[in-house]
Amino acid sequence: MAAQPVEPELADIQGLVARGYGDLTAATFLLGRIEDRGATRTWLAGVAELLTGASRRPEGRAVNIAFTSEGLRRLGLAADTVGLFSNEFVDGMAAPQRSRTLGDVGPDAPAHWDWGGPGAPVDLVLLLYATDGAELAALRTEPALAFPPGLQLVRELATSNLRGQEPFGFRDGISQPLVEGLSKKGPAATTLRFGEFVLGYPNEYGRLTDQALLDGAPEVGRNGSYLIFRQLRQDVRGFWRFLDGAARRLDGTADPEQRLRLAAKLVGRWPGGASLTLSPEVDDPARAEDNDFDYHDLDRHGALCPIGAHVRRSNPRDSLDPKPGTEKSLELNRRHRLVRRGREFGSQLTPDEALEDPPPGEKERGLHFICLNANISRQFEFVQGTWLNSPKFAGLYDDADPLVGPSKPYGGTFTIQSDGVRERLTDVPRFVSVRGGAYFFLPGLSAVRSLAGR
Amino acid sequence: MSHQIALTVVAEVRPEAADDLRALLATMGDGVANDEVLDFGSFSGLHFARLVLVEESTDLKGDRLPASLLYMSDLDLPKGRHLGELADAGGDAIDRLFGHCVGYPQMPTTPERRLAYLRGHVVKEQARYVNTIGRTARQIRQEARLRDRIQVYLDEHADELRGRDPVEIRRELQQLVEDDAGLHWARRPAERTDRGFRLRELGHAVGIALLVLLLLPVLLLALPVYLVLLRWHERRDPAPHLKPTPELVQELAGLEDHLVQNAFTAIGLVKPGPFRRLTVRVVLAGIDYSTRHVFNRGNLAGVKTIHFARWVFLDDGRRVMFASNYDGSLESYMDDFIDKIAWGLNIVFSNGDGYPRTRFLILAGARDELAFKDYLRLHQVPTRVWHSPYGQLSAANINNNERIRAGLQGEAGAEKAEQWLRSL
Repeated sequence: MAAQPVEPELADIQGLVARGYGDLTAATFLLGRIEDRGATRTWLAGVAELLTGASRRPEGRAVNIAFTSEGLRRLGLAADTVGLFSNEFVDGMAAPQRSRTLGDVGPDAPAHWDWGGPGAPVDLVLLLYATDGAELAALRTEPALAFPPGLQLVRELATSNLRGQEPFGFRDGISQPLVEGLSKKGPAATTLRFGEFVLGYPNEYGRLTDQALLDGAPEVGRNGSYLIFRQLRQDVRGFWRFLDGAARRLDGTADPEQRLRLAAKLVGRWPGGASLTLSPEVDDPARAEDNDFDYHDLDRHGALCPIGAHVRRSNPRDSLDPKPGTEKSLELNRRHRLVRRGREFGSQLTPDEALEDPPPGEKERGLHFICLNANISRQFEFVQGTWLNSPKFAGLYDDADPLVGPSKPYGGTFTIQSDGVRERLTDVPRFVSVRGGAYFFLPGLSAVRSLAGR
Repeated sequence: MSHQIALTVVAEVRPEAADDLRALLATMGDGVANDEVLDFGSFSGLHFARLVLVEESTDLKGDRLPASLLYMSDLDLPKGRHLGELADAGGDAIDRLFGHCVGYPQMPTTPERRLAYLRGHVVKEQARYVNTIGRTARQIRQEARLRDRIQVYLDEHADELRGRDPVEIRRELQQLVEDDAGLHWARRPAERTDRGFRLRELGHAVGIALLVLLLLPVLLLALPVYLVLLRWHERRDPAPHLKPTPELVQELAGLEDHLVQNAFTAIGLVKPGPFRRLTVRVVLAGIDYSTRHVFNRGNLAGVKTIHFARWVFLDDGRRVMFASNYDGSLESYMDDFIDKIAWGLNIVFSNGDGYPRTRFLILAGARDELAFKDYLRLHQVPTRVWHSPYGQLSAANINNNERIRAGLQGEAGAEKAEQWLRSL
């Protein structure tokens, strides 16, 4: 059944859907709380004129904005209309029943978050991007963007440019889904329907996500996308220390080569980016961006890239039921993809630096994880809960994701399959903790104007 | 040894007692039973069990459907023995629970009277699914222990075992079992169901197949008429897409994901008229036949995450209940349904009121993803009191554990030994 391709209304869609603004290396995110509806709406009408659309690559700077369900209510959207959005969005990321799925329990529970939890709720996020720090500072002081009295700045989240690496030291952002209607083209078999990411277009089931919203309030819902934001602190020192201990030789001496090998096994790629399935022995620069591969034929038992490795479980490709290695398996995989738009914060550390003692008052480092999808529960929550957090992923026993898996008591094992006896690491500590987060809606440009009352 | 038995007890709740009963059940669990009122762990041969309060409602004509209390369990022993244990050791709890129900004996009562009451309220399942017929709860726990023991050994001897010949490693692990008297049961393959049971099942499989073959000419003649009627109904049946409230989803989700496994209970009204009632009967009979004879080894038509499931008629067939024990989140369970056996869901549930519109009984329906997910949530019944004796084992784990034990038996060549090592 060949699906009709769609022509998305890119001019009415916020630019973040189409691109991550890779050339705009400076960025900052402003979290706001609406206290005065009128003042905020007036401000929003001005912001709407500066928003960056998806139709062309922005020059020098980009501005996007997204709202939580509480933010939409505070802007004056009727409760009935807000109720037409998906339940996950209406509840919010910090709702108690979501926390188990997301692994936000114990020290990561929303009650302890810096923002987004019950102690510091947020209504909107203003995302600013520019070519460099000076440009960003200029954009930041643009009068039309300055929060007015009545729109409280809850927190400003600064970012840093780690040149394509995430803080553990691995190249990031290699595997992004190809999406129909956007500039980057690929084979039809691996291209996802636009409706997987934006409301108002057919999704992978050939349906419209949130049909009731599109029927009841198309002026708000159409051309919008759900934006998931999680501030993740990465314990880079803890990560390398743990691996350094696990990699020690029998005589107790350090083994940097083995340490690197274990780290790559946990991630599923080498620091340079090459997949272990394609390049099991060395960090091959020629393979750094190679993303056109499947697991089943090359590596079905995980002897090269472990079954529980982070990249394998966040995108299992053709390795899951039904019928691994076939189009059926790829089709299932396509229903759980995310467009990632994250930015790092804090400074970079090499593995050797990470093993040294931290300087006093060291700043946190990590990832502002941002992703877009049309169905939070089938896409983001599914990937987080069923693929990353579940210790039972793909027949495993006690292996939650080694990088982002939730707190104990279960899931602290990491199994490294091999052709002989498997290796395994036990009591793997937690290297990533959640500092804040929220479900936002990134409306279409005309929808932003309508929310501003214009 | 034994095959698995489903037990379903349904008792009408006295209208004035429903609030009390609801409050009592709320003290007994928050999605997982806490064993305070009824100690599920003390019963022999028990897999899963649950107690569910089905609230009072109305049928499609507006007639009252009284509230009822449901007890369901999956057993390795005959119903009578389990009922006996309930009436005896579990007597106080049974009094406290079923004392809210119509016709329960006056207090103080006796085990005999309790037993008679429970027996009198047992209803028959229309269809049921057992992940692997013949595998007892005891076997599941034993084999999990075997795997744990082997894992510890492999960890402790990791350096010596690296690079060794798989055949030798396997022998070493056979010796490990040999040396541990607590694992001697693993020197033998798992016991199968008994010969008499297998013969009876074979007779059933062949007998029904022959009967259908015999009736085939008549069925083929009737098929066009049936299909015309079916399409007429399918076009006409209302299929509104209703969305559950966030409060309902919150209540239900709050009871889920406490263990690796979850319980699902849903009840729906059968669409009005004899056509749907006949269809659902025939379909459920077909499902029961296929789960008994075909899908009885860890795989329900592509879905491998279900441990036990059942379909039961309530209120003389006006409603159907589906209850299952599955792995992972409800979202992944529903996705499995849609992606792998949408046709199998459609063929049953499309006879239920309000289900997303189907074509030819098997097409469309659940493929309307969000309408289907909302339909399931709207028909779900909160399951507070639910018992699993091996709640941290997925069906994949249990099946792999069985492979580990099976692979320990006898001699093995290089290829077989290597393959077996992969299951560890």
